[in-house]
Amino acid sequence: MVKKTSDDIKNTLKGVDVVEISYTERGYHLAIEAQKENIVSIVEFFDKKSFYLADLCCVDYVDYLELVYFFNNHKEPCRVKVTLKVEPDKPSAPTISHIYTIAHWYEREIHEFFGVYFEGHPHLVYLFLHDAIDIYPLRKKQVSVTEDDKKLLSSFKPEEFEDGFFINLGPQHPSTHGVLRVVVKMDGEYIVSAEPVLGYLHRMHEKMAENRSYVQFLPNPPRMDYLGALNFNLGHVTTIEKLCNIEVPERAQYIRTITAELNRISSHLLWVGAFVADLGGLTPFLYTFQDREHILDILEGITGSRLTYCYFRFGGLYNDVDDAFIDATKQFIKHLRGRFGMYEKLVTKNVIFINRVKGIGVLEPGITTKYGCSGPVIRSTGIPFDIRKVEPYAAYDKIDFEIPVGATGDNMDRYMIRIREMEISLNIIEKAIEKLPSGPFKAEKVPKKLKPPKGDVYHAVESPRGELGVYIVSDESDTPYRMKWRVPSYSNLMTFPYLAEGELISDAIATLGSYDLVIPEIDR
Amino acid sequence: MGKGGFYLETKNPIIKFAIAEKFLNLARANSIWPMTFGLACCAIEMMSAAMARFDIARFGAEVFRPSPRQADLMIINGTVTKKMAPTVVTLFEQMPSPKWVIAMGNCAISGGPFVFEGQYNLIEGVDKILPVDVYVPGCPPRPEALLEALMKLEEKITGTRRFPVPEKQW
Amino acid sequence: MNDIIQIIGQETVKVIIGLIGVLILVVVNALMLTWLERKVSAHIQRRIGPKEVGPYGLLQPIVDGIKLLGKEILTPANVDRPLYYLAPVLIFIPVLVSFVVIPFDTCLQVKDINVGILVILAFSSLSVLSILLAGWGSNNKYSLIGSLRSVAQNIAYEIPLLLSILPVIFMTNSLSLKDIVEVQREGWFIWKWQFFAFLIYFIAGLAETNRTPFDLPEAESELVAGYITEYSGMRFALFFLAEYTSIMIISAVATVFFLGGYLGPILPGFVWFFIKTYFLVFVIMWFRWTFPRVRFDQLLNFSWKILIPAAFINLLVTGGLLKL
Repeated sequence: MVKKTSDDIKNTLKGVDVVEISYTERGYHLAIEAQKENIVSIVEFFDKKSFYLADLCCVDYVDYLELVYFFNNHKEPCRVKVTLKVEPDKPSAPTISHIYTIAHWYEREIHEFFGVYFEGHPHLVYLFLHDAIDIYPLRKKQVSVTEDDKKLLSSFKPEEFEDGFFINLGPQHPSTHGVLRVVVKMDGEYIVSAEPVLGYLHRMHEKMAENRSYVQFLPNPPRMDYLGALNFNLGHVTTIEKLCNIEVPERAQYIRTITAELNRISSHLLWVGAFVADLGGLTPFLYTFQDREHILDILEGITGSRLTYCYFRFGGLYNDVDDAFIDATKQFIKHLRGRFGMYEKLVTKNVIFINRVKGIGVLEPGITTKYGCSGPVIRSTGIPFDIRKVEPYAAYDKIDFEIPVGATGDNMDRYMIRIREMEISLNIIEKAIEKLPSGPFKAEKVPKKLKPPKGDVYHAVESPRGELGVYIVSDESDTPYRMKWRVPSYSNLMTFPYLAEGELISDAIATLGSYDLVIPEIDR
Repeated sequence: MGKGGFYLETKNPIIKFAIAEKFLNLARANSIWPMTFGLACCAIEMMSAAMARFDIARFGAEVFRPSPRQADLMIINGTVTKKMAPTVVTLFEQMPSPKWVIAMGNCAISGGPFVFEGQYNLIEGVDKILPVDVYVPGCPPRPEALLEALMKLEEKITGTRRFPVPEKQW
Repeated sequence: MNDIIQIIGQETVKVIIGLIGVLILVVVNALMLTWLERKVSAHIQRRIGPKEVGPYGLLQPIVDGIKLLGKEILTPANVDRPLYYLAPVLIFIPVLVSFVVIPFDTCLQVKDINVGILVILAFSSLSVLSILLAGWGSNNKYSLIGSLRSVAQNIAYEIPLLLSILPVIFMTNSLSLKDIVEVQREGWFIWKWQFFAFLIYFIAGLAETNRTPFDLPEAESELVAGYITEYSGMRFALFFLAEYTSIMIISAVATVFFLGGYLGPILPGFVWFFIKTYFLVFVIMWFRWTFPRVRFDQLLNFSWKILIPAAFINLLVTGGLLKL
């Protein structure tokens, strides 16, 4: 695939250099350097080949700004990095939002954080920030926002809509979505358009990464996604190990797999409860929380915290697991297997639930490349894309498991996929416990002050919500130069305005619930 | 929100009956209704406190009302950013008095782990914009800590504590 | 004393005592039902519920009531004042009046009006008016949407309610509630051919009182709190108490029509009446904590396309059987 793509690029696009990169060192296969004149044609080439835009970020090297585009394929991994250099004073670049819809949001974010103006973008307003901030936050030197730019950024005013009326869903929600505000323009009970407004929980993780050393930043990723904290921790730690070429011992890899899968189960359990509670059935919420408390007790025994775990360190784990953990996990597996029958009778076979959920929020597979969906959202459309299988990390390549796939892409499929994923996770944990080798749990000779070599690296893991990507640029000091997090809920959420058009508001809320959004990871 | 501040209840009722006040405070302490208002990670621990294992309903506080007009208690759990601050204050002003605020978690007490030099979007501690009655430290605090905060709030309202303080037993 | 009774008239004194008794019953009953709801929901959800306030949490509703009385009386700006103030009062009157005609025992009925059931049905339609006043007067988008949904739902479900009671009235030849109970001495209507009417009545009654699975007007995850969003303090409490009292009315009418009212062996009549009524109330609460919500268009479809034809068929079959 990589060779074929590289040959295609050389044949189709003239004047474009393709460089092959070592995947094990850098995490991507090909690198292309683009100019402002041919960036749009390069992006159109990838769109025709059904690549999806995995990430779009900007790095501030003081003499120039560099826009970095990452493309990947759902069928076979072939990560391509396209870079575009932009001048630092009054930077501008052509937009690609007419080709990839997710670029609408990426470009808005880069505009408000770096000041890059995208020519042709229809709606360059504030995404995360707001009027009270007068600088472009992620620039290395302080650059203030110009007057015209401020006017452009603040030009979103939903109160001036004449034809219908608009209501705000949130930011205070009587459910577990978090601080998400959706401005919904309605016509009776039907939705005309829905636009999410983000940024109510923007906690400046990326700016913090540039001010903290690698070790000091370890507690932050678990707070980005508090439900799948170990998976974020795993992504962070694995990326830096890739950058510094640290080898992790076998035992640590297996234990990382076991704890990450336990975390996945607890996140899915909470989602099942919250989803049914959104629809009105309040009792399964309490039952799933009760099951979840078992997992929290098990993980508390080894990590020390109930929610925002920070258990993995560079090169291994914080401390070893003991027999009590193994016994408790085995007991828990037996207990949860017995509970699935009860959930099936109470929720899955309930006629009211089926009528609320079947056939609602249908996502076609054709548009998933435009948005870069991942996780259960894309698996519900029939595409078996799971990072644990296509680009294995930790001990996933040594354990055999299957990937559940849906048929129609509606809410019912996403629900069934998550239930199946819980069962599969139990199988993975069982097999990993059987195969657990003895040995050290931490790599030797990892320096206390970690100074990675110069360069950049990209790594992706599968969190309960989808593909989580970490892009780190290092300049040989002990703080990262730039750290960008590609979060799964961001691209999943962008399909919501598309799906909500013309729906009843109850259906739109059910669809929003089926995405399993965690807002702090979107807002970072 | 008015110019510069918000309206605090400073006028006292004209006639005060001590016994009636005591009775009323006892009733208010035993039936505190929180508002469903989850901001970030600490919201999950607040939900766990309302679930079957820790059961805040034993003390009469399980009726989480979604509308601020029907709630007594606002539990700020999670980071308050500058974009969210006007909303928080509006919600607080909509609540009828007597009303109380619990600041749960390190972010609500003083900004938490997100305070660093050059931060541009954080309100360092919710007591810069609201009057707080009880502080619960932790990141996130355990659900038992939230129950203890409820006991402390009841002690603040009535003057006596519901259960004996643990140290006195040993 | 006797002179006073002679001047006013014995009937009137009996009615006044009955009204005071009904008032006490309604208030105590509404408070107890809030306690019962919290305990039932707690035990279904495998926890305990209110425990610290009095033995078994029995003083909890009283404490809630005192707290709500002591809240600040808050009127939001820009509300339509007459409508806003009138709505909570207006919702409580119909349920009070409906209790006047319910027979608790052979001689425990405030007044045996000979068109008893018509009184109940007519006054229950008035509650729709107060919901509309609350939603419009609150000057709030969520309240408006919630109250419009509730009005559409109530209007749609009143028809099956009426149609499911008609067969019983045909079989009794009388509209008075006392006569209906007396006829059931030969057998309760629920197993004398009217099981489907009971089901239709129960479902329509659930929808009338806005209980799950039909509680879309108060859908918390969508509309904050529906038409009672802007009410605080005792006004809010009145809406809540009215909801629990109307659950009691629906169960009481179901008991009278289908389950034999106060008839039963050994125990006195009114004990049987309360046992049967509270059993139905328990079933209504059980439904709330088990089922998710029905979507709004599915709800209206269910009423117009399924319940009303079923009620009509039931009516025709009953009429045919009676003729034969």
